[in-house]
Amino acid sequence: MGEIWDSFYQTFIFEDRYLYFLEGIKFTLIIAFFSILLGLILGVFISIVRDFHKQTGKWFLLSKICDIYVYVIRGTPTLLQLMILYYVIFKTSTLSPIIVGILTFGINSGAYVAEIFRAGYDGIDKGQREASKTLGLNYLKTMRYIIFPQALAKIFPALGNEIITLVKETSIAGYVGIVELIKAADIISSRTYDYFFPLIIAAIVYLLLTFILSKVMKYGERKLNHVVSG
Amino acid sequence: MLYQVKKLVKKFGNTSVLKNINLEIEENEKIVIIGPSGSGKSTLLRCLNLLEKPTSGSIYYHGHRLDDKLYKSIQGKIGMVFQNYQLFDNLTVIDNLTLAPVLNKLMSKEEAISKARRYLRQIHLEDKENSYPMDLSGGQKQRVAIIRSLMMNPEVILFDEPTSALDPEMIGEVLSLILEVSREKITMIVVTHELNFAQEFATRVIFMDHGKIIEEGDKEQMFKHPRTNRLQQFLSNIQ
Repeated sequence: MGEIWDSFYQTFIFEDRYLYFLEGIKFTLIIAFFSILLGLILGVFISIVRDFHKQTGKWFLLSKICDIYVYVIRGTPTLLQLMILYYVIFKTSTLSPIIVGILTFGINSGAYVAEIFRAGYDGIDKGQREASKTLGLNYLKTMRYIIFPQALAKIFPALGNEIITLVKETSIAGYVGIVELIKAADIISSRTYDYFFPLIIAAIVYLLLTFILSKVMKYGERKLNHVVSG
Repeated sequence: MLYQVKKLVKKFGNTSVLKNINLEIEENEKIVIIGPSGSGKSTLLRCLNLLEKPTSGSIYYHGHRLDDKLYKSIQGKIGMVFQNYQLFDNLTVIDNLTLAPVLNKLMSKEEAISKARRYLRQIHLEDKENSYPMDLSGGQKQRVAIIRSLMMNPEVILFDEPTSALDPEMIGEVLSLILEVSREKITMIVVTHELNFAQEFATRVIFMDHGKIIEEGDKEQMFKHPRTNRLQQFLSNIQ
């Protein structure tokens, strides 16, 4: 018992080490939140550009650029993307590592989100677009009022998966010196030579985060459910 | 003249689905297109609103060549009723009815709602205005789809086998609505296998087979005194 208390004391209380954890949680949350946001915006935009090209034949070049982006991002490891952005592209800039992290994870997630939405659009009966066309609605209105809402309802579980994956993936931000949760745990355990509490705490925080996220997604799914007719 | 179809050819890959179709349609005609499956009836119908792009030949609408630009400018004046209804699954009945006329600035939201409610009363579905399509029967869906196309004040409505996906006991309610609509001054072109309905509805009947118009005429001539062997055969096969 005394040993465990000692370990706990060394990990959290001595020299106010719990502050490292709070800092780590803060940065994990900041990076996760903004990269989810960026990923959603990018992904939806890219999926619409590609779908517009598919439906109308217009915007060939832009759509090809989007294809290449999705191909490259999905074909390389996230860690490598992070390192390239940090050590190569933003090497000489004074951009905060946090921003580089958000950019990396957001750009990375955007490619996956784009693919998820594409599957969503493609899964909708093409008769829905035809009906909309015969009612005089153009591409953007059809997308906005008919295709996108239906697709969103259908892909919501897949989107939830992607968001949870992204939150966990932010843990590699420590590689470029961002003190997120795992890095915080690492810093402390390297001082105490005791890995138990730091790692367990990190795990519990991630579990809590993903638990809350999946609850939120489930709630959204139920809200959207009337849209999915079968 | 409303439609003039000249030398219309439609190919899917190497298969010719429509072979040199020539057809003229006057305003306010009620036309039924019959023929065996695969004869090109639906494809012809879908060429009339550019859901299918003709491979060659041309279609004139009010004397103007019907292309994407013209189609866009007439915004919903060529309505269509689909075999599988194609109500928008994410919208309630009332939103299905009012979405397009309001977005196209045909009428205000309030006007659209009161017009939609009038139609809903006419088809006895006034209590369904806040239901989603998934909660309606096939017959109810198709009747809503028909009034949805009416909401746009169309000049033409194309019906693509409107009762083929329905359970038998629901066919009647849909056909009688189509008959009701036929009293309006709207050109109607119906692809169907319902010959009894055609007898009552049509001012002209067109018989197609293998991508060609084999015979056309008024219903008396077509059903009582068919001239071609193929039409005689077709009629005796399905009766």
